[in-house]
Amino acid sequence: MAADTRVDVLRRLPLLARLLKSRAFQPALMLLTLFVFTLAILTGWFGTPAGSRNFGIVFVWIVWWALLIVILVPFFGRLWCMICPIPAPGEWLQRRGIIRRAPGKLRSLHRRWDRRLKNMWLQNFGFLTIATFSAIILTRPNISAWVLFGFIVLAIVLSLIFDNRVFCRYVCPVGGFIGLYAMMAPIELRARDCAACKAHRTKDCVTGSAAGYGCPWMVYPGNLQRNTYCGLCMECLKTCPKDNITIRVRPVGADLLVMKEHRLDEAYKAFIMLACALLYSVVLLGPWGWLKDAANMESLPAWAAYAAAFWGINLLVLPGMFGGVTIIARFAAKQTAPLRQLFIDYAYALVPLGLAAWIAFSLGFVFANGSYALSVISDPFGWGWNLFGTAELSWTPILPGAVNLLQMGVLTGGLLFGINVIHRVAAHHSPGRALHATLPFAGLLTTLTLVFLWLYLG
Amino acid sequence: MRMVLYASLLVIALVALWLLLPTQSQAATTHHVTIDAAQYEFSPGRIEVAQGDEVIITLTASDVVHGLYLDGYDIEQQVLPGVSQQIRFFADQPGKFRYRCSVSCGALHPFMIGELVVSSNAPFRQAVAAVLLAVAGSIFYLSRFRSSQNEQGSETTRA
Amino acid sequence: MMKRERLARLLVLGIFVALPLALLGYQYGLRPLTAPHRVIDIVAAAPEAGGFQPDSIQVQTGETVTLRFSAPDVTHGIAIGPGLGIDIGSVEPGQVREITLTFDHAGTFTFYCNTWCSRDHWRMRGVLSVYDTDGSLPAPSRDPVIDQLVAEGVDIDAAHSGQTNHTEAVALVPSPERGAVLLPNLTVPHEVGNSQRRRTHTLAEAAALLQAANPTASEQDVIDAAAALWLPSPAPPADTARLYQQNCAACHGETGSGQSLSTITTASEPAAFADFSYMLHMRSDVLYAKIRRGGMGTDMPNFGTLFMPDETWALVDYLWGLTLAAE
Repeated sequence: MAADTRVDVLRRLPLLARLLKSRAFQPALMLLTLFVFTLAILTGWFGTPAGSRNFGIVFVWIVWWALLIVILVPFFGRLWCMICPIPAPGEWLQRRGIIRRAPGKLRSLHRRWDRRLKNMWLQNFGFLTIATFSAIILTRPNISAWVLFGFIVLAIVLSLIFDNRVFCRYVCPVGGFIGLYAMMAPIELRARDCAACKAHRTKDCVTGSAAGYGCPWMVYPGNLQRNTYCGLCMECLKTCPKDNITIRVRPVGADLLVMKEHRLDEAYKAFIMLACALLYSVVLLGPWGWLKDAANMESLPAWAAYAAAFWGINLLVLPGMFGGVTIIARFAAKQTAPLRQLFIDYAYALVPLGLAAWIAFSLGFVFANGSYALSVISDPFGWGWNLFGTAELSWTPILPGAVNLLQMGVLTGGLLFGINVIHRVAAHHSPGRALHATLPFAGLLTTLTLVFLWLYLG
Repeated sequence: MRMVLYASLLVIALVALWLLLPTQSQAATTHHVTIDAAQYEFSPGRIEVAQGDEVIITLTASDVVHGLYLDGYDIEQQVLPGVSQQIRFFADQPGKFRYRCSVSCGALHPFMIGELVVSSNAPFRQAVAAVLLAVAGSIFYLSRFRSSQNEQGSETTRA
Repeated sequence: MMKRERLARLLVLGIFVALPLALLGYQYGLRPLTAPHRVIDIVAAAPEAGGFQPDSIQVQTGETVTLRFSAPDVTHGIAIGPGLGIDIGSVEPGQVREITLTFDHAGTFTFYCNTWCSRDHWRMRGVLSVYDTDGSLPAPSRDPVIDQLVAEGVDIDAAHSGQTNHTEAVALVPSPERGAVLLPNLTVPHEVGNSQRRRTHTLAEAAALLQAANPTASEQDVIDAAAALWLPSPAPPADTARLYQQNCAACHGETGSGQSLSTITTASEPAAFADFSYMLHMRSDVLYAKIRRGGMGTDMPNFGTLFMPDETWALVDYLWGLTLAAE
């Protein structure tokens, strides 16, 4: 846990540091993703309604999703937020520039974001809402495109009313869970020496300077301890006059144990994400057609029942089970901290398991349907084009045999990591009786893992 | 107290080892199964056979054109409504293999999935055994080597 | 810095304005304009979702047109008839299948779906009118077989099941193979031996005539001999089996059992050609008429605008094959 096990990447790779400090770096990547994003919306609106032959569906929900949850988030945390096209137009309007550092303040109505919304709750409910309609959104190019378009419009509108990345920080349903799971990533952006930041009077990383803008994510890099709300935009790297900001390689999941930052909204994000991974595995990858029909809104009453069950399991059943185990653990370990506090602290053990579950779920359909990417790249609209000669490639699942093995490995890793987090949290609350609190949670986490294993392999 | 814990861990480990034992095989039989494909479900959605059995599937479609692709066996067969098809193979590999619709059949086509379970499903038993052993091992490790650190448990919060 | 800024702004403009304009402009403007001949994009959707759009196409003789079919929902099969022998095959969702045609004679044709795609599948048809250079369109020719039936006063739509007089015959299982062996030793009346006449009379009547000519023959012998005569010879071409599977099997069953798909709900039970008691009193020309004209009051569609008369007769022969080979 000590800082010396962490590797200062930017000191070792000065070229990377120079690249990240370039004002053109982030916009260049954003322009690239904006191009793909615009193409995804256009194909959704004007292309074939057959999802598996539509660039928008295939590139957003298979290629981008796989990239995000299997590679970007677990290994690089919020890296996607650095290159995400959705807030880009709004941010550029706000800044009155794409690459240049425009002088003066940001241009917006400078409204204050309501204090009661300065948390993940909007993101929690936003994600649940999208998830309730997922069978529709994931499969209908037109609807999918309208959702993406809605996101970009909302991001622009919010950036005209409020300063900075209010959309990313408090609204974006994807940003919420990326923030949660970014805590697992083995990289972090931090101040090299926090004391130097404390002593620094002008705090250019917050106020901005001629070199760059004040932190658009509204965090103070000087005492940053977690990846959760740092969007890796690299503005502080540019503004810090003391070259005190860096990127480090660090132990996986280190942020989970920053106890004083634990909050109920984040704990609920962990519950919601784990429950959704489970429900998606059952509904989308399971053999039960009636569930798919309900999720697909074949009949409104069935869908209403499905939605109610979906929200109930997310908000009541899983947190309820977890609360029950917390009561047992608190009693067994004779812990004195308030139940609410313990409930929140232990919930962070669901982060590694939840991420593992999402990876396992995603592997289950990404390998099976990845080959669609080859055909849609040649015929993005399903208009009979053949740009690269791959339009007629038939659907072929890739490596179906390896998927189960990967799923098992990832889930086991997530489980062991989760138990380890439980034990550390328990040791914090009852140093002498950490194991007493660990065992009940180990039982719950193992059971959840076995349920996933049964769904995938059993 | 500690002895109770170790005894429980031992039991868990033994259960895991039992899962790894080879199961006795029965004489191979032939299964005749009719699978009907309709948006977005195969009926039946789950078929269980024993390793080495012969499986003869009569595949029908009852609404639109569907197909059946069987993971792991690399079998693919299209089926038109009204014209049934036969698929025949030996279930020589153990495990759970999904059969997926292979012809785009509507919005939820990518999620039209059924399951062939070839018992005794060694991969699943091995996975469960691996999880149980890993959990037992990790609890043993925590109780044995991490408990001495318990008094400094507060090190987890950094200033 | 300002140079890069300007480039970036240009790129944003490119993404938001030039990209859509270029893509849509090419597809809807440039592509049709630069094509060497007329290109007609046809969306092939299930009838409940609009069927063929457009469902009516006009071309001139000698004009070359490319028809591009795309399916937005499920797999369809596209064919054009009658008498053109065009079967483009299946069009899967999101795929485009095209065919370039030049018509040398005027006429009215039908482009249709020949793969079961929905409850109303058979409604999925469009009209392709080929006008002569003088702008005329030949009137559809009348079908002499149907005209003859109407002149005779035969009710093509009369219910056939359950009006059996020869109940005893129903219990018999016809064996055309056995009948073929027996035939040389039987007296075959002139009317029964005439293959043209067989099309306008029932097997039951032929059996009665055979029985009258051969009083000593058993009932089974007579039925078998009649069955041997009714068994199409030569067997219908292989195309016919495909035609039956594409257009008939979904309702009448692959083997003619009359057992249809669970999702199909027809006004009346589809006819079971494998049921000898149904076919025993069925005239071939009535079957022909039912196929071409459709069954009034049932959900049997008309196929006269899709198939040539000889294709239809081959289908009737195929049905007899199902009846007599079923056992």
